Amino acid sequence: MVATLLVAAVVGLALGAFLQKGRFCFVNAFRDFFAYKDSRVTKGVLAATFLTMIFWGIAYQFGYYQGFWTPNWGLTGLVGGFIFGVGMTYAGGCASGTLYRAGEGYLQFWLTLLFMGVGYAGFTVAFPTLERTYFEPLTFGEGVSLFTVTSVPAGLVGLAVAGAGLLVYATLVGRSSTGAAFGERADVAQFTPSTLSAPVVGLRGFAHGTTAYVRGLVRAWRHPIDASKQPWDPRTAALGITAAAAVLWFTQVSIVGVTGPEARWTGYLLSQVGVDAGAFEYWGSILFQGQGVGVTVDMVMIAFVIVGAFLAALWSGDFALRVPKRRRLPNAVVGGLMMGAGSRLAPGCNIGNIYSGIAELSVHSFIASIGIVAGVYVMTHWIYREVGCAI
Amino acid sequence: MPSIDDVTNTPDELTDDDAEALLEDADLVQDMTGEVCPYPQVEAKKGLQKLEAGELLVQETDHVPCTENVPRAVGDDAEAQVWRSGDATYRIYLRKQA
Repeated sequence: MVATLLVAAVVGLALGAFLQKGRFCFVNAFRDFFAYKDSRVTKGVLAATFLTMIFWGIAYQFGYYQGFWTPNWGLTGLVGGFIFGVGMTYAGGCASGTLYRAGEGYLQFWLTLLFMGVGYAGFTVAFPTLERTYFEPLTFGEGVSLFTVTSVPAGLVGLAVAGAGLLVYATLVGRSSTGAAFGERADVAQFTPSTLSAPVVGLRGFAHGTTAYVRGLVRAWRHPIDASKQPWDPRTAALGITAAAAVLWFTQVSIVGVTGPEARWTGYLLSQVGVDAGAFEYWGSILFQGQGVGVTVDMVMIAFVIVGAFLAALWSGDFALRVPKRRRLPNAVVGGLMMGAGSRLAPGCNIGNIYSGIAELSVHSFIASIGIVAGVYVMTHWIYREVGCAI
Repeated sequence: MPSIDDVTNTPDELTDDDAEALLEDADLVQDMTGEVCPYPQVEAKKGLQKLEAGELLVQETDHVPCTENVPRAVGDDAEAQVWRSGDATYRIYLRKQA
């Protein structure tokens, strides 16, 4: 038990620090891509997900894992994911982003966390009704991870899907850059020959970008103290998160989720002030699985994410108690409520579904990720309605 | 084709003296402390729409990601520089381009 708690502390601290240093935020990753085609954080998210996918495939194949998280699939993922996506874009931080910003000293995001808690509690109270009227009609099939159903070794499946993802990414990037080359540099004598196909151009760009990134990393190592205080490339965060979450946490404990443990925290904290949380079906038999309402190891890990982000922010000179503008309070209240409720309705947040869920090739998480990204898309267009979006 | 933006993604940093001198020179100052993404990005775009080419917009913020996201959001509309106080406050200097 002590060893597991130690792992939880180490993983939590590392995740918090890497999230803070890399400003690793899923809202940022999708919102800024839609609003003005900024793909820096998007690349980090993709890198983390695909790297984790490869590691989990290999770990599963050789038996070094504790279990997958594969909820039944259906339209709930789409509905809950959409609500969660709208909520996190309005709140200005995803489930993990809210945690690390709480550690950076944003009172705004502590308020968001509080109202996420209200969302979890409200959902729990409504759960018996929702089970009949929402989950039963909208659930179509048993949850499954594609790693477990093919006869192909899971490590290869992970590599193949990650490779296919990279190829799609390269094609998209390659196509847009050859298009730009024709549009903007028609007067330059030597431009990209049209025979060069988009995937090749994209892969070349990927190789070039990765080399430049590694060179930058090597340069940063020469002045480790200075570099540690500067903001880090989101890809560095991706590598660190993969090491902590994929390798350590997955082989020792489970996949990574944020809102599940938070919903447990809500039940636990309410039980501390006299509420019989265990009597509610959702807390008692689903979240705490009949083990009694107490502190579980993933709850400890999530708490340490806040501590890790706090320490990293303090070290970088980024920590301060930040008082929100009054006109931002609805973002925390409404955004938090939608994140809390949406993450239970799906179920799962951006970490459970986009990061962990896609990395473990869970059918439910593919559907929920579509819902989340659609929610971000709609809400981004609403927030940018006066100045316009690029995509 | 890889662009220069793949290699360098942070705007130039200003020294304390330059940051003070430029602030006095500003044509529009936006107080974004207590704000979170993406509102500073949206306000920066709106603010630049009000300015003429060559004029300077300064945003004061305490939101860490803004130092990169705001310059990214305005893109080629403005040239960006950043000042870090070292005490969790930042200023973003945006000079509108023609």
